[in-house]
Amino acid sequence: MEKKLIEFKNIVKEFDGKLVLKGVSLDIYENEFVTLLGPSGCGKTTLLRILGGFLEPTEGHVLFDGQDISKVPPYKREINTVFQKYALFPHMNVYNNIAFGLKIKKEPKDIIEQKVKRMLKLVNLEEYADRNVTEMSGGQQQRVAIARALVNEPSVLLLDEPLGALDHKLRQEMQHELKRIQQEVGITFIFVTHDQEEALTMSDKIVVMKEGEIQQIGTPTDIYNEPVNEYVANFIGESNIIDGVMLEDYKVMFEDKVFDCVDFGFEKNEPVDIVIRPEDMDIVPRAEGKLRGVVKSVLFKGVHYETIVETKLGTAITVKMVVKNGKPVFNADANEKMSANDFYLDTADVDELDDATIIARADAQAWNPDTDEFVSIKEVKYEIQKENGTYPVTFSTAAGTSVTVNMIVKDENRVVNQEYEEEIFAVNFFKNADEITESIALDTDLKTWANASAWSLEDGKGVEITNVDYDFDPETITPGVYDVTFSTEGYEYKIDTTDKHEVGDVVGLTFQPEDLHIMSKS
Amino acid sequence: MNRSRFSWVPKILLGLTVLFFYLPIVYIIVFSFNNTRSLTHFGGFSLQWYTKMFSDRTMMEAVGYTILVAVVATVVSTVVGTLAAIGLSRSRRVLRNIVEQINNLPVMNPEIVTAIGLLMFFSSLGISKGLGTMLLAHIMFCTPYVILSVSPKLRSLDPNLADAALDLGATPLQALTKVIVPQIMPGIVSGALIAFTMSFDDFIISYFVTGNGVNNISILVYTMSKRVNPSINALSTLVILLITVTLVIVNVVPIIKEKRRTKA
Amino acid sequence: MKQFRSMVYPYVAWIAVMIVLPMLLIVLYAVTTAGNDVTTFRFTLENFARFFSDKVFLDVLWRSLFIAVLTTVICVLLGYPIAYAIAQRPEKSNMFWVFVITIPTWINMMVRTYAWVGILQDGGLINSILGFFGIGPVKMMYTTFAVVLGMVYNFIPFMILQIHTSLTKMDKSYLEAAADLGADRLQSFLRVTLPLSLPGVLSGITLVFLPAVSSFFIPKLLGGGQYVLIGNVIESQFLTSGDWNFGSAISMIMAIIIMISMYVTRKVDTDPAARGKED
Repeated sequence: MEKKLIEFKNIVKEFDGKLVLKGVSLDIYENEFVTLLGPSGCGKTTLLRILGGFLEPTEGHVLFDGQDISKVPPYKREINTVFQKYALFPHMNVYNNIAFGLKIKKEPKDIIEQKVKRMLKLVNLEEYADRNVTEMSGGQQQRVAIARALVNEPSVLLLDEPLGALDHKLRQEMQHELKRIQQEVGITFIFVTHDQEEALTMSDKIVVMKEGEIQQIGTPTDIYNEPVNEYVANFIGESNIIDGVMLEDYKVMFEDKVFDCVDFGFEKNEPVDIVIRPEDMDIVPRAEGKLRGVVKSVLFKGVHYETIVETKLGTAITVKMVVKNGKPVFNADANEKMSANDFYLDTADVDELDDATIIARADAQAWNPDTDEFVSIKEVKYEIQKENGTYPVTFSTAAGTSVTVNMIVKDENRVVNQEYEEEIFAVNFFKNADEITESIALDTDLKTWANASAWSLEDGKGVEITNVDYDFDPETITPGVYDVTFSTEGYEYKIDTTDKHEVGDVVGLTFQPEDLHIMSKS
Repeated sequence: MNRSRFSWVPKILLGLTVLFFYLPIVYIIVFSFNNTRSLTHFGGFSLQWYTKMFSDRTMMEAVGYTILVAVVATVVSTVVGTLAAIGLSRSRRVLRNIVEQINNLPVMNPEIVTAIGLLMFFSSLGISKGLGTMLLAHIMFCTPYVILSVSPKLRSLDPNLADAALDLGATPLQALTKVIVPQIMPGIVSGALIAFTMSFDDFIISYFVTGNGVNNISILVYTMSKRVNPSINALSTLVILLITVTLVIVNVVPIIKEKRRTKA
Repeated sequence: MKQFRSMVYPYVAWIAVMIVLPMLLIVLYAVTTAGNDVTTFRFTLENFARFFSDKVFLDVLWRSLFIAVLTTVICVLLGYPIAYAIAQRPEKSNMFWVFVITIPTWINMMVRTYAWVGILQDGGLINSILGFFGIGPVKMMYTTFAVVLGMVYNFIPFMILQIHTSLTKMDKSYLEAAADLGADRLQSFLRVTLPLSLPGVLSGITLVFLPAVSSFFIPKLLGGGQYVLIGNVIESQFLTSGDWNFGSAISMIMAIIIMISMYVTRKVDTDPAARGKED
């Protein structure tokens, strides 16, 4: 490798008692294109600003060509920056923006002109010298910012999320453009971004950061293929990350099966994360698969299909839906109609019961049949105890129209899944056929009607119910009893395929031992 | 729709508004050319009150003091206020909050409270009241307005602009004069304008802190209004003229400049 | 980031001496008695007690508050329609109208107030016009009417400009959304425009009430020497009777009243339920 140009030595930065950088050490070589990659707040911009001289590190040293520059002000550093949103001087035209640094150094006029012209050519803006920078597009401003920095002939160019403000197509164009410029001028570029695609396409070296610490340093291929932990794997590219156990060298177990792999050096029975890239998996007939599952969704992505295969259901509960054809009560004196249905309750719900909940759960409503305007329900009368049983409840309007239905209190409405440490809850419910046919978001309505919810047993946080399964046709449903199953997300794999599979297909999944990337749990 | 039927309502309303705002001003100007002492009957055109005014030493002195104080206070408060606002924009939040709160005191407090505070302050220090105290007081109450008008411009400035200048080799002073000040110029100009008119028009604070026969126009109008003296009308007309000319210059010059720039 | 930080320090010193110190002096004088010098001063609340036990002063306080509230109410009732009418104009003439409203505020307040003397006098412009129709003369100078008129004239531009700003910076799509959801023009105004412009009205109220309650030359010029408001009392304590301690105490009472009223308005302003808007 070439010669070391910049050395960060154990850089710590604190803002108002908050550690933004927690001891970062990093070497950067000559003519390298280095990308600092991480989400916002990971400290990547802070590190760049320390190198630019806009911030002083709380601890540690920055060496440039072997010299400590931690205390050198920015205007004495051989480093230039392309700022986020460019920071072009709005009161100067393109030419004067680019000439700024040279004028400050009091270079002769003709030299300035020569250099600026050369830079305009480098960034393909020869025609724009007299243009006002505020009247230019984002991509053009970007080029001016690069020219303004490069004209000073720095040994290092810092780029702080320079493509963030551009639209997708322009961003891709500028990626190539930047790479070309870097190769042409042959200096070190240090590029800060949160976009993994940018990092992968342009860099010689990627530095993945998280919460003020470096997670991994490596070439794009290294980082993509051998992420050191779940965080890096998730951040770089799409991946399937599965919990497993390393039984011994070259043997890993997940989904209760043992697979060959190429990794070694873990402790016996060490819990690990296994990464499989979507493009490294393949869908095969069920019998040939190392894993089996059901196709859950297929998305066309242009060159391939992104297919999601579920190998194992999440936590599931099945409840009964009783479909009736109830007729509303009609009160001719007040010219009001009213309807409500029976509903189930869990014993635990009894304490928190109030009128509004009862009205919602019973779907009680009253209306004027001529105008179709709703009439408010004035009174809800009921008695209830905290034990299994059937309790009548009466709704009435001010005009005296009333309906009585049953509240059925019952426990045994929950399913616990010890493996996933999840619990799911739902109750049986009653509905009129027309409510089901008229529903515009049936899955959501079914969840509401069944009062379905799921939560983690570890931390009590809610878990989304992703699947609602039933085998009736909502358009033509008739009175009767139907099963409805609610379940959380199970084990799912994202697979890139060129063939199209149908949702619901039962398939097998296969992969090679070298495609399993094993990482210690961090 | 009823929109067109009542469309005359806002027109009448705005017409009456203009009448209400400008009647007194026109009235003064007209009666400054009256040839009698009366404030109610216009006897005929004459310039006698202007000749009286220009030959009246106290009046001319008041005009002179007013302009002198306004110019000095404007220059000093604009420079001090701009530098303070830039410093403030880079300060720690605690300091910034405290300074902004204190800065708002003269703006939010009734002027009479500021006035008596200064009066007692000057006397406790044994400073004799006169031109000096008036100048200090005017700088004191003008500067907050400059800061209030410059600060928003600084806030809307790309925080990286100064860094970009330093990055390109400019020293902090060069960054200030070549990048930051040109950027916030509109705020500085409007701050200076506010400072000028605040000082030029001030009555209450000047009234309390002046002495030794140093008067400004407002104090003169106040003390002379007890007797009928049409020279006040002439003086007032002069004030109106001065302010209008200033306003026109400040508002029209940038437009002309802009036109020239776009033509070139 | 911190290159220019030190530029603020001279100003910090300046405001400490020129703003904070005078304010502290007011407090100091308000709680001490006259005559003793600074080294031996004695703490007392006598000055406050004297104000609140004297009916003359209390009457002045009530009258000042009454005039200020009346002025503020009139400014809201007149200022809102004016601001609304301007905001309804096309964008270009909006600028013009704002300029029309602003110009008088740049001209010396004293001069403009003095101008009303000629108009309101017994033989003045208005009475001449009334006399032409056989009415009057109506006495207007040296009445509450003249004082309130002078205050409204001086302070209403602040109200108009504040309301106008909040009306024009309001996103027009709110009105389109309201119309889309079935509101007619009146409903849109009452349910969308009015609540959204409330912050402008409230800051207008502050800007009018504050100078109105403390004004002393408007009552002197248009109300005559007999018309005493709290500002006139303070003036005379300092410039005629020379009782700085009592004058300071009255100023403090006035400042506290203003602070309380500003706190109340700001409370309304920041209470989302009261203004139906969070931004």
